[in-house]
Parts: sequence; structure tokens; C-alpha cells
Amino acid sequence: MTTASPITEVLHREGSQQPDPELLRRLYSYMLKCRIVEERIRVLYRQGRFAGNYFAAVGQEATEVGTTLDLQPEDTVAGSHRNFVTNIMKGTPLTLLFAHIYGRATSPDQGRSAPAHCGYAPLNIITPSSTIAAQQNIGTGIALAYKMQRKPNVVVALTGEGATSLGFWHEAVNFAAVHKLPIIFVVENNGYAESVPVSLQTAVEDISIKAAGYGIPGVTVDGNDVVAVYTAMREAISRARSGAGATLLECKTYRWYGHSEIDPAKYRDPAEVEYWKSRDPIPAMERNLASRNLWSDQWKQELTAEINREVDEAIKFAESSPKPQEDEALDHVYSFSIRERELKRKVWSPRSQMGASWR
Amino acid sequence: MTYIDAINSALHEEMERDPNVFIIGEDVGRMGGAFKATKGLLDKFGSERVIDSPLAEGAIISSSIGAAMAGLRPVPEIQFVDFITPGMDALTQQAAKLRYRSAGTQTCPMTVRVCYGGGVGGGLYHSQSNTSWFIHCPGLVVVAPSTPYDAKGMLKAAIRNDDPVMFFEHKKLYRSIKEEVPPEDYTVPLLKAAVRRKGTDLTAITYGYTLQLTLQAAEQMKKKHGAEVEVIDLRTLSPLDTDTFLESVAKTNRAVVVHEDNRTLGIGAEVSAIIAEQAFDCLDAPILRVTAPDVPLLPAAAELERFCILSVEKIAAAFERTLDN
Repeated sequence: MTTASPITEVLHREGSQQPDPELLRRLYSYMLKCRIVEERIRVLYRQGRFAGNYFAAVGQEATEVGTTLDLQPEDTVAGSHRNFVTNIMKGTPLTLLFAHIYGRATSPDQGRSAPAHCGYAPLNIITPSSTIAAQQNIGTGIALAYKMQRKPNVVVALTGEGATSLGFWHEAVNFAAVHKLPIIFVVENNGYAESVPVSLQTAVEDISIKAAGYGIPGVTVDGNDVVAVYTAMREAISRARSGAGATLLECKTYRWYGHSEIDPAKYRDPAEVEYWKSRDPIPAMERNLASRNLWSDQWKQELTAEINREVDEAIKFAESSPKPQEDEALDHVYSFSIRERELKRKVWSPRSQMGASWR
Repeated sequence: MTYIDAINSALHEEMERDPNVFIIGEDVGRMGGAFKATKGLLDKFGSERVIDSPLAEGAIISSSIGAAMAGLRPVPEIQFVDFITPGMDALTQQAAKLRYRSAGTQTCPMTVRVCYGGGVGGGLYHSQSNTSWFIHCPGLVVVAPSTPYDAKGMLKAAIRNDDPVMFFEHKKLYRSIKEEVPPEDYTVPLLKAAVRRKGTDLTAITYGYTLQLTLQAAEQMKKKHGAEVEVIDLRTLSPLDTDTFLESVAKTNRAVVVHEDNRTLGIGAEVSAIIAEQAFDCLDAPILRVTAPDVPLLPAAAELERFCILSVEKIAAAFERTLDN
């Protein structure tokens, strides 16, 4: 296990080789895009423009981006309710993401899953469920298939720290360890599982230490340092692709807002929130880029304008998309249709063997 | 061929036919399964396709779900349905909903083989039926073949089906009955009930092991009362083939549902409700259910078990009450 590594150490670990400027810029621009998209979703929610709820990862962008940028299309992302934005790094079009938020017929699941639960089969993003640690277990099965099929792909399975309290999570990690599966268990330790602080969740300081119990490497990084997260993730991914097996990667970060849009998060000390806001991963990366002469305010303005344009278009697409037909609720239960079974009832008349009539 | 050999033969043939089919479960490899259903598979197909899993039902089922999503055809084995509870989230919230929650873009062609049923002194954790837990989950297909012929043909059909299938095998069927099973490839379609005995006076509806008891009770009715009981084997418990038993009830005007699971919200409750809704005018007598009482199943001592388990006598008594009405 290694502990939180500041940016300089990570760069130092890479020796004299400087990171690719384009990569650094991309890490930044994806964080900015995630932030803009989620803040916009929150506004839309408060405006009552979509139903349900949303679980923002604002403040955690370094972890979201660092763990899922540069995956291959066939790599799987198995995320939870707070990983909606991983779709952006994977490449799901924003139009589909907003159609999903709005529950429209054009969304990848045609209006079935809750707003935060967006999957996208063409890019191997599992549609999430609300039961915690379920996706990690399914992800383990996908990793098993990749191994059996001799595919060079990996699974990135993301949970919060709360998931690690479930026996089910441990079943997945153990299984993946036994079979040396190409999966990275990312634990986004944002300090709270809904309202329960991490101190009531686990007795260890670093969750990555739990990896030792399964015989896989465990790494803890500063989850607000996108370069640190990305670098640790690259190592874990190349380990997985090479057949060396699973890694547990803990990213220590912080959730700026409540568990969901209906949670004012009054259980937290405002000073704690302020401290973490002062560690906002986005300005931190701006400073990093500036120190390398890779930064200008104008670039940020252009980038922001471009992202906002894309978001506006996606919202327009979503709002003009058709709503599902009511009886489409009957579709996709099985590989065969249950429509007739549900919509038509045969009624048998007395003493008539063939006397069934439709009602 | 016995039921267990029919299962074993289906597994051998399907694994030969399709390299995507694999087996995973506790003791399925080196030991060939607690009941020897997977005998010989490890030697023939190797440890990558016959996986002795860690002792973790949640991981057995979840890893099967993921593998199925990624294009494989897993056939996990759960030794006893009594042990399936750690895998309940995986089955009821993941496997059952995956197709639905992704609008058909993510699917789970998995066949979970589960051993169920009592009458062998297995006690509270080796005797249950619990089919209703899964019948209550749209998205899961629940089947319970009652004969060796069906066991082989339905297992093959289940493995080739694109839905998650819960495949219930009664442990008393494994070695108690034999019948001719074709050595060649065949399938028995899912979702279709079978008429196992023709009759005109009463319709008995059952599945799995209790079909044997029901057929014996039907013979008693013929001998004692000259009454002809029509016996329907549901074969698939969800989604139900309702037409087969409704057509029969429309003809016989009497119905008895027989199952080994608890009474409340067992399949008998559903079948009775469907008959009441769709063939009420055809009935000449109240629908009766012959089931286990609503106690945890099954107490270990022989006397207690005998009270709870079904018998030919209990079924025959219900037939007589219905015929007397």
C-alpha cells in the first residue's frame, strides 16, 4: 500500500519523463465538463424539469476522470449511483445522457432507470442498480468472461467507501483475487455514506489495506489530485491487462453536496465542507497547468463556452425527445413478449371446452 | 435413465455444443457436485469451464450474471435452494431486472440449477422449495421439470434461452424414477405445461416431484370411485402457461392445486386466483390446495416432517372432498 501522493511525487515517480501536455489538458477539460454537466443537472432538478432525484459527484471529479479516462470501448465500467459522469469519459453522447435524465424514449434504457442510473451497452457501461456492491459483483463476472475469452479488456468497478462494509463487496474482491481477474475495484472514499461518516464505516485509516486480506495490491491516493489518480489507475489497468489480476484503489475525496438533491447534508461541519472546497480538484489542476505554461484564462473561457454549447444542445435534444408510450412498460421483461398475457384475458364459459372468449 | 443422469447428459452435450457454456458452483468440479450432476465435466472440459467456486453464493450468481452479459452461457449450481439467500440481490435485483433496466440492451442468458424439496430428513436448511421467491420476480423464468425426459430437454432449452432461468430440480426425483431418454439432441420448450393424465372429473395441477404423488392419487380415484382425474404438470412456474389448466378446468369443472411449498402465496394461490378470475363460471366446487402448512420447512424429526410433507393420501383426500362437492 502506498499513501496519498502529491502531484510532484507522482511526476517524480515517472522520472524525468514529463507527462504529455495534451493528457494534462484533457484531464482538466474532462473535469471541467463533468462539473458543468452536473451543476446544470442540479439546476434542472431544482427547476423541476425532470422527476426523481440526482446524486452529484461534484468535488470528486479528479476521481471520476482519473479512473475512467482513456479506457477502451470494450472495457467495462461498473459504477454506482454517483458515477453518472463516467459516461462522459467513456464517450456516451451528452444528448443520450440528458435524454436519460429526462426519462425520454430516446434514452439508452427508454425511460426505465432512475436519472442517476445511466448505462450504455455500446460502450459497456453497466446500467446501475441501487443495491450497493451489486455492480462490483457483476463486474467481476464480466472480468471472468474477459479472461476466459482471452480478451485484453478490463473492468473498472466503482463504489463509495460504504460498499466495503457489505459482505457482498468482499465476495467480489475475493473471487476476483482467486481467479486473477482483470478488474480494478475503485473505492471513492468521500467521507460519507449518505450521512454516516467513514469512522463509523470502518476501523481502518486506509480502506486499501483491506486488499491485503485477499492477496491483491491496495493503493490509496489523493482522490482530488487527478494526475495521482490517473497515474495509479494506469498502473492498475496495465497490471490487469497483463494478466496479473485485480487491484484495490482507494481515492480519498469529498462530496460537496448532500447524498442526493433532497439531502441538505446538515450532518456535516460547515468548516469541513469549506476545507474540502478549498481543495477543489479543478483549480488545483489549473495551477498545475499554469506551472507548466499550459494554461490561459482564454483557453478556459473557450472550453467553458464549448461545453455549455454542447450541454445546451443536449438539453434541447432531451426536451424535444418523445416520452415513452405508457404501455411500453410491458416491453423488455423477457426475450419474449408478455403483452398479450398482460393485456388480454381469456374467460372460459361454463361447460364449454372451447368456449373461451377474450375480455 | 435417471433424472440426475439426464441432467448430467444435458450438461455434457451443451458444453460440447457451445464453448460459451460453463459451470460454476460449490463442489461442482473435483467432486462432481453434491448430487453428482456435474460428474465427469471437469475431466472433459477443464477447470476453466468447470469452476469450483469460493463458498459464496452471491459471487457464484453475480459472476455468472456478468459473464452472461459478456457473451457466455453460465450454468451456476446452487447445492440447495436453502443456501441461495446470499445470492438473492444478484437474482432478484440484477438478473431479473437487467434486461428491463437497459431496455433489452444488456441481457443475462444464465441458467441457475437449484436443488430443492424435502422428504429426505434434510431438516430446515436442506428441504425447502421456495419457488415463490423467484416467481415473484418478473424477468426470471422459473422452471421445475418433473421427469428425466423433461429434465434433459428443458435444461438444454434453458441454456439456449436468452433469459435468466431458475431451474429447480427436486432431490427426490434425482434417483427415484427412470424413463427412456433419447441419447440425441432434443429440447423441451419452456413456458408450456403438459397434460400427464387425461381425465374428465377433476383437474389436478402440480409440478416437480409431487407430480408422482398426484398421479398415484389419481389412480386411487379411478379404482375407488371410477373418477378420472386430469393431471396437469405446470413445468414452468413463471411465466405460467394458464391456458392448459384453464381449458382442463373448463372441461372438468373442479380443480385441486398440489405443491410442496408453503401455502401462503405459493403457486397454488396464483393458480387458484387465475381460475377464479378466468373460469369462475365453470366451477362446480371450491378450488382446493394441498400444500405444506405455513411453518418453516422442513422440521427434521420424521414425525414432524411427515406432518408437513405431502403424501398420496393427503392429495387423495382433497380429491375426494372436491369430487363430493
